[in-house]
Amino acid sequence: MISFETIVFYLLAALSVFAAVRVITARNPVHAALFLVLAFCGMAGIWLLLEAEFLAMTLILVYVGAVMVLFLFVVMMLDIDLVQLREGFWRWFPFGVALAAVMVFEMVWVLGNNRTAETGTALVKHDADYSNVKELGRLIYTDYVFPFELAAVLLLIAIVAAIALTLRRRKDSKTQNVAQQVAVKRADRIRIVKVPAEKRGE
Amino acid sequence: MLENYFPVLLFIIVGLAVGVAPMVLGRLLGPHRPDSAKLSPYECGFEAFEDARMQFDVRYYLVAILFILFDLEIAFLFPWAVVLKEIGTFGFVSMLVFLALLTVGFIYEWMKGALEWE
Repeated sequence: MISFETIVFYLLAALSVFAAVRVITARNPVHAALFLVLAFCGMAGIWLLLEAEFLAMTLILVYVGAVMVLFLFVVMMLDIDLVQLREGFWRWFPFGVALAAVMVFEMVWVLGNNRTAETGTALVKHDADYSNVKELGRLIYTDYVFPFELAAVLLLIAIVAAIALTLRRRKDSKTQNVAQQVAVKRADRIRIVKVPAEKRGE
Repeated sequence: MLENYFPVLLFIIVGLAVGVAPMVLGRLLGPHRPDSAKLSPYECGFEAFEDARMQFDVRYYLVAILFILFDLEIAFLFPWAVVLKEIGTFGFVSMLVFLALLTVGFIYEWMKGALEWE
């Protein structure tokens, strides 16, 4: 007898795999980004089945809510000309294949090593009032306080880097600086010139 | 624990049904008589002026990335708020340090004018 959870798992897994395949096969980059959103949602469901509720919520909140917005901005900023994008496909093909080979090797090495089977413990089913968020909270802010503060430093670096990389003043901007306008001195605007008096023209 | 999320699953299923059913019904029941006028691109009665795919200003990217960073900050606040009574003064102070570090970043971006929209 297949349990209800198993059915949900297979549905979500099928959805995620379908979406992930569409991410790399979709011709339009915007469609690919939207399929990535679908893949994230499927994975959030699977994490929820593993009782990692906080991770699932964060995946939806941060990745679907914020990171994908960024991805869509980047895709839109690229000025997508599909013909131009296809150019140089064969030139970069060896690099892509090499990168893919490295990733496949890593996955096979990690998953095929049976280490997960040895160290991993069976999933413990918890009661209805069990809170994964509470367990995380008890650990993050006490036992793992150093990595937690490091995360703050990382975020700070990211803020500074993003501003340094993208903050530009527009040359054609017509904004008024009100403070400057108010603080203007008489001497900045008018100049009094002594003009010698002239006789009335004859 | 998972039984608490059953209503969420129901919501997703009902939401999908509400979204998909009208499209399927429209496809099945609606008449299909396309002609060149119906299929042509339409922009306020004029011919389309230019391609919709244009380059966006890089400042949208800056706003988006700053949003992500403070979104992450909020994500860290949730578990902290849930267990605040259990982790005591140490946990409280650790979060204050975290927030202080990010406030440095916030003051920096404010003073740099990254939040200004010219």
